[in-house]
Amino acid sequence: MTKRMAKWVSWGFLCLVLLVFPRVFGIYYSNVFVAFAIFAVYSLTLNMLLGYTGLLSFGHAMFFGTGAYTTAIALDRISGMPLLPVVLAGFVASVVLALILCPIVVRVGGTAFAMLHLAFGQLMYVLALKLRFLTGGEDGVGGFPIPAFSIPGIISVDMTNPLNFFYFAIAVLGLSTWILWFFTKTPIGSIMIGIRDNPQRVEYMGFRVTHTKAIIYCLAAGFAGITGSIYALFQNLISAEDGYNIMVSFGPIMATIVGGVGSFSGPIFGSAIFSIIEELTSRYTERVELVMGLILIGVILYAPMGFMGVMGLLKQRWLAARKVKLEGAK
Amino acid sequence: MDSTTAMYVAQGIHGLAYGMILFLVASGLTMIFGMMGILNLAHAAFFMLSAYFSYQALAMTGNYWIALLAAPLATAVVGVLVERFLLRKVHAFGHVGELLLTVGVSLVILDAVKAFWGTESLYVDLPESLKGLIHVGGLEYPVYRLFVIGLALVVLFIMAFLLYRTRLGMVVRAAVSDADMVNALGINVPLVFMLVFGIGTWMAGVAGVAIAPILTVFPGLADQMGMDAFLVVVTGGFGSLSGAFIISLVFGELSSYGVQFISALAPVLMFVLMAIILVIKPTGLFGERE
Amino acid sequence: MNHILETKSLFHDFSGWEVLFDVNLEVREGERHAIIGPNGAGKTTLFNVITGMYKPSQGAVYFKGKDVTGLGPYALSRLGMGRSFQITSTFERQTVFQNIRMGVLSRKGIRFNMFRKVDGLEDVTRETEEILKRINLDKERDYPASILSYGKHRSLEVSMAMATDPDLVMLDEPTAGMSKDETKYAVELIRRLTEGKTMVIIEHDMDVVFSIADRITVLHLGTILASGPPEEIREDQRVKDAYLGEMEE
Repeated sequence: MTKRMAKWVSWGFLCLVLLVFPRVFGIYYSNVFVAFAIFAVYSLTLNMLLGYTGLLSFGHAMFFGTGAYTTAIALDRISGMPLLPVVLAGFVASVVLALILCPIVVRVGGTAFAMLHLAFGQLMYVLALKLRFLTGGEDGVGGFPIPAFSIPGIISVDMTNPLNFFYFAIAVLGLSTWILWFFTKTPIGSIMIGIRDNPQRVEYMGFRVTHTKAIIYCLAAGFAGITGSIYALFQNLISAEDGYNIMVSFGPIMATIVGGVGSFSGPIFGSAIFSIIEELTSRYTERVELVMGLILIGVILYAPMGFMGVMGLLKQRWLAARKVKLEGAK
Repeated sequence: MDSTTAMYVAQGIHGLAYGMILFLVASGLTMIFGMMGILNLAHAAFFMLSAYFSYQALAMTGNYWIALLAAPLATAVVGVLVERFLLRKVHAFGHVGELLLTVGVSLVILDAVKAFWGTESLYVDLPESLKGLIHVGGLEYPVYRLFVIGLALVVLFIMAFLLYRTRLGMVVRAAVSDADMVNALGINVPLVFMLVFGIGTWMAGVAGVAIAPILTVFPGLADQMGMDAFLVVVTGGFGSLSGAFIISLVFGELSSYGVQFISALAPVLMFVLMAIILVIKPTGLFGERE
Repeated sequence: MNHILETKSLFHDFSGWEVLFDVNLEVREGERHAIIGPNGAGKTTLFNVITGMYKPSQGAVYFKGKDVTGLGPYALSRLGMGRSFQITSTFERQTVFQNIRMGVLSRKGIRFNMFRKVDGLEDVTRETEEILKRINLDKERDYPASILSYGKHRSLEVSMAMATDPDLVMLDEPTAGMSKDETKYAVELIRRLTEGKTMVIIEHDMDVVFSIADRITVLHLGTILASGPPEEIREDQRVKDAYLGEMEE
């Protein structure tokens, strides 16, 4: 029972920290945190494919961008759109895109999967630049009204206030994280892990690999859409560079690798490390990508299990050292 | 030849020149993939690096021909170093590690280039003999583009010779169709990998030098060519040289005539073609493996 | 006699190379049927065609009287066909418990449930633990499959095929690479697990074959040489010439 209590206490503490965060650190760092949280949850959705199903996608940005553009265009074109439905629209649009791609992509794996996504992702990028009447071309869609969070007759919260938006974004992203985590613990989640380790055996045990993959693919796409949607609201602007650029696809892969593919929280730590490094290096040099590239190479060469893997190793060593100490004391 | 026909012919040759350059890049990519199972995402970065090398060599020696020879070789040396000291070490961790390592290498090259040469467009001046226009039957055509086509043909010829007339080529061809074969034949695999990687980057380097005078040298150079080359490899089939050749030429013409007739949608044409082929055959036109 | 599994003039080739040639296999309900034959006779290919990994180039497979030719492994598994592999094919990074639970989820038809935690499904946990006890792996419950000893890993391999509760189980060389003691234990385990079920087994060890099988089919060069009860096969001159004699040399 104490373990359970410790869990609740730490959750409560985390909520408290998030609650007071903007008051303590101010709006600038609150915004840095929101940017990090968006990136972290977006990386989690990628890890559902990469870490949990063994599918490497080089075009995950298409779901992020589609969610972002859907929300932005909906707010820009339709007046009086409420907040939650536009976020939901981002989810649905990305799921629809995933459903269209499903019949092609679930049949393949490995490099072909990665490359097909690179190609489709790039197609979306070109479309976002070329379909000017819809996407505003290179300028993107921006300056759309940000609706208030409202339950008619009960409450209406102004979302243009950065403080309010902080809480809203953290709540949506937190809930998304919990849903993704819960998914990994469900029966289909364990089948998903089975597909990563041994798809043939999964098939022979009576599960249809392609269908299971399709469900996970749509789920990952949908939540990537939500993060894109929050991003569009956060920036009040979405352009092809921020939504569909190839770096938007590579970013979460790097964060996941650096943080550790093997665990649920790896991408969160990886995103944190990247956010901190980006924040720090950009103060001194414009060569952020160079630094990122070197870090990525270093991690793959020397710590291929990533941050979480290294932590696990350190913990093992610490336990072993303590054991030796204890035995020595006997 | 009337002027309209002349224009069509000129566009056709334009497309051919671009298609040939595309093939130089794509064939290295597909060969490395077929041989080593690595999709080298730094390939386009090598291509761009070579363009910068050619600018630098020209600035230092003032001789275009030296630049033409030296830049691809220097690029190949960088490629060999990357293979020897980076890729080989992560080989044991599987393809995802290798793939991501090439992403890291690509990021470093792209950004390092900006640090060394800045972000401005740099001009590569041609020698007098390659400047100007050639007149054939009422058609005026830039000499340099014809030179590019010729250069690509020479490289192609060298490649064909290596592949079909040497022991290394035999091994490579065997490996592209069946990777286990190489191990069975008892060949120094690491050495062959290094050579293949070097030759692949050398070809990308030749393409980089060839394109520098046409497009100027700038950091965005890698994006366009990299994407087109990947599309070629995906559409033509992973590891298929003949697929890469056919699709390169088709794409070259598509983009050349596409810009002429439907300029706004020209960049989408290749994707549409790719999507159609992949829906019918997920492994690409001539591909048998994923 | 009811045939639970039947193949009708099955052919299969790999790019023109004939591996199976007019195979008419009949497996009766409830029997323990061994398939033997020298290396390269096409035994594993026959398994792969029956269990849906490959489509036969000609002929048909009947399972429980239904034409199942061309159905995928997942569909056959749901109809009640289980299969183990010659090369151990477990989920190595997952625990023994999780490996077996996969089969239990399948037998209960829990395939797409995403609204309950799998650990919270008490009947699944209970059934999985019962199986673990029956296969003597309850002490290794939380070990990753990869650290099991060879013999135990093989037992897990076979048990995973049984965990889906199939009516017909196809075992591809379950005792391959085992020591004498491990083999003895494995045979006993297989006998126990397949009680009341139909089993088809590929086996090289003649002691195992003659101790476990009710009927034997001899495959030679991709075609059936003989099929019958063990005594009959032991005396069959053609079998002796083609196979058994070769073994005794």
